[in-house]
Amino acid sequence: MLLALGACDGGEQTASLEGSYTVYRHSMDGAPSNLDPARASNIYANFLVVNLYDTLYRYKYLARPYELEPNLAEHLPQVSVDGLTYTIRIKPGVHFIDDPVFREGKGRPVSARDFVYSIKRHFDPETRAEGAWLWQNRIVGLDEWKENGADYKQEVTGLRALDDRTIQIQLIAPYPQLLHTLTQGFSAIVPPEAVAFYGKELAVHPVGSGPYRLLSFNTASAVMVRNTGFRQEPFSLKNEGFNPALQSMYGLEHLEGLLPPFMDRIEVEFIAEDAARWNAFIAGELDFVKAPVSQFDQVLQSRDPPMLKPALADDFHFQASLESGFVHTDFNMDDQRIGYHPDPGQNARNKALRCAITKAFDWEKRNEIFYYGMGQVFAGIIPPVAPEFDPDQDKTAISRDLITARHLLRSHGWNAGNLPDLEIGFTSSVTERQMFEQFRSFMADIGYPRDKIHPLTFATYGDYAQAYLNREVMLMTIGWTMDYPDAENTIQLFYGPNASPGSNTANYNNEEFNRLYQASSTMSSSPIRTTMYRKMNRIVIEDCVTISGISRKLILLWNRDLAMLPDRSFLGGHFFRFAGRGEIKTKNKARR
Amino acid sequence: MLRKIIHGLALILGVTFISFLLMVWFGPDQTYTLIGKHATASQIAEVRHQLGYDQPFTRRYLDYLVELFTLDLGASNSSGEQVSSILKRTLPISLALMLPGFIIGNLLGIVLGLVAAFRRGTWIDRLITGLSVTGMSISFLIIIIALQVLLSTPYGFNLFPVRGWRVDNLSSYLTYVTVPTLSLIMVTLGYNTRFYRAVFVEESSREHIRTARAFGASPATLMGRHVLKNSLVAVSTRIMFSIPLVVVSGSLLIETYFGIPGIGKVSFDAITSGDQPILKAVVGLTAVMFVLIQIVADFVYRLVDPRIA
Repeated sequence: MLLALGACDGGEQTASLEGSYTVYRHSMDGAPSNLDPARASNIYANFLVVNLYDTLYRYKYLARPYELEPNLAEHLPQVSVDGLTYTIRIKPGVHFIDDPVFREGKGRPVSARDFVYSIKRHFDPETRAEGAWLWQNRIVGLDEWKENGADYKQEVTGLRALDDRTIQIQLIAPYPQLLHTLTQGFSAIVPPEAVAFYGKELAVHPVGSGPYRLLSFNTASAVMVRNTGFRQEPFSLKNEGFNPALQSMYGLEHLEGLLPPFMDRIEVEFIAEDAARWNAFIAGELDFVKAPVSQFDQVLQSRDPPMLKPALADDFHFQASLESGFVHTDFNMDDQRIGYHPDPGQNARNKALRCAITKAFDWEKRNEIFYYGMGQVFAGIIPPVAPEFDPDQDKTAISRDLITARHLLRSHGWNAGNLPDLEIGFTSSVTERQMFEQFRSFMADIGYPRDKIHPLTFATYGDYAQAYLNREVMLMTIGWTMDYPDAENTIQLFYGPNASPGSNTANYNNEEFNRLYQASSTMSSSPIRTTMYRKMNRIVIEDCVTISGISRKLILLWNRDLAMLPDRSFLGGHFFRFAGRGEIKTKNKARR
Repeated sequence: MLRKIIHGLALILGVTFISFLLMVWFGPDQTYTLIGKHATASQIAEVRHQLGYDQPFTRRYLDYLVELFTLDLGASNSSGEQVSSILKRTLPISLALMLPGFIIGNLLGIVLGLVAAFRRGTWIDRLITGLSVTGMSISFLIIIIALQVLLSTPYGFNLFPVRGWRVDNLSSYLTYVTVPTLSLIMVTLGYNTRFYRAVFVEESSREHIRTARAFGASPATLMGRHVLKNSLVAVSTRIMFSIPLVVVSGSLLIETYFGIPGIGKVSFDAITSGDQPILKAVVGLTAVMFVLIQIVADFVYRLVDPRIA
């Protein structure tokens, strides 16, 4: 008995779960390891961080395509005519949560200086931050501040607090994605006192001003409770971009005028194992689940359009949406066996080989076997969820064409004897191995000997990343989650100067592509920029740099008594504050 | 005693040295999971320096020994949390999770082993042995999933939670620990029964047992007072040397599939991510516990078998 009580999970007050106390039980298919905003590098960490801390901006809860909305910021920023200076006012009267880091344990007001400090942290080597790339070589003086020793007393010219509530950011060149970066957990606002007090343990002791505060966090779950001091901003369907034609079935109208956050407590379970996650959901222990692909046939009545089985439809809402990212297999252009070669003749032969492999790849079968036929295959590197995606794009690049593939090999002198050994990198798992075997069978159809295609397996993702970032993997499959709704985020994956260890793991370097990228990178969204993006997409396709791509379909299910529209896109998480239940109506009105 | 302590220190040095060698040479390089999406070569070098990867092996190993002997275990590279806090938080959970299954599994194993040994060669013996082998043959994972479906979902009896660990009183403890304990018993019972049966069969064939039989000892007296008592050295050895694994290693599969935040899951994550501060602590702690168990074992042997004294 003593042992059992000694092992209880942080003394949570489960006894108070009664009456109108509202709880939302969310599940995730992975776990964050760190809740320090500077290290919130994955979707799991971001989900929690944006609820524990404030960001200046967020996306409108319901608007699609995504639209920016002020969060801690009072309004959208004032931007100078040249697009280089952003002035942002933050809302008055916002306080950090009460915590021992503050004098007498009372949370103090959030100030513009806290934002400046929080961004500087990314450039302090001591932080070991993972989000500095968002502002690297973007803000005047910030990189120099790091080079000069990251002294917080030193002011950064381009990142200043003009007064308690006014932030001014000066850019080196126009950066149209800046506001998107300010929606991410990386940009969340941290008080310096908390960093000084907790040090590295800030990662498990978040001190923010978000809608929730952390009650407990471990490898299996996180529990957050309502931040009772959170600013009072009534929920407005109109302001959040409500579309009655598409969203009226979710019961969101009940929430109009109420004060978020609507839940008293949010329990997030980290369940990587598909069977365990699904069983827990079916047993009623979870309110939300991302259905595992292995359960799609148990869940869906039809695939197109996706419809739930009647037995489930009575109890659950569901949404079938594409992920905000894609999966692609890149050729390592730095590898002379398949990529660039100093001899122009061999260079052309290598390109023909890459194109033949791409042509032999059967996307239909890949989709059918591994994604239940519900993924969306598209040509190139602009995934369907990006606003710049071309729905009428040419599908030739993703259509299997064995005749052309064989012709390419023959006409460039390739035969079974002289084809190079292919090494396909992946982390050890049954699914990855199955995908490898499928790839090998695709290639067998164009006469690629099976014994010339080898698996290059890695025990952990870290090992795999180390190998491909060191340019040691010939073909590598990468899943990319977009950071913001702008195709620049995927196009930069093929920008020459971003070569490994940067994000351009294909080590692709095309002058025309690079020129277009540089020109478009300072442009705001416009038809001209979209045309340039699509041109870059075509260049990548024509150079056969990558076998791409597929965006996976996500089937999200949640209890019908919940009034909410969950969202995992673009790192996600902000929707927690708007998740409600029917009974909260009376309660929250009374609270107001 | 002094000899034991010297042997113990040598064991700790040996275990820590070999495991550290494996961590450094074959373990994942955590740099590449900590650098974020768009790292530069200088950022990679920065992180490697912070992790101490640029230090010579001997220096790193000596630092490890100092950390171990001063109990200053540092902070996790992944979460930033102090390793001592992690151990303090997770060890009691793993212990509370594993102990019932460990105790019941061993007790049942002893009882079934005694019955099988006493009825050696009969259908009862064959039944127990057959079930033990069957239990040993089924994958742990299959047992976990089957019990979850059977006991915790609407597809079965739906009596217990599928997963979680929200324990704040005895009732909630029993609610959350029952299915994991059953899983653990089902998996370990076969191994335990086979082991104990072999020990008891060997003991049963000794002269003093035949003498006891000749004196007309009842089956209970024979098996309890003579066979079991004289087998206690082997029994206690098995139990005692399992303790460090129960305490420190926990059970990765149980903790993962039942969503229990114990040391097993933390250790596994540390192995796969290469979080060396946690790994070093777990390995060091396990070695120290084995040494302590060795010392305690001497006293226990003397207690259960005065001939050893």
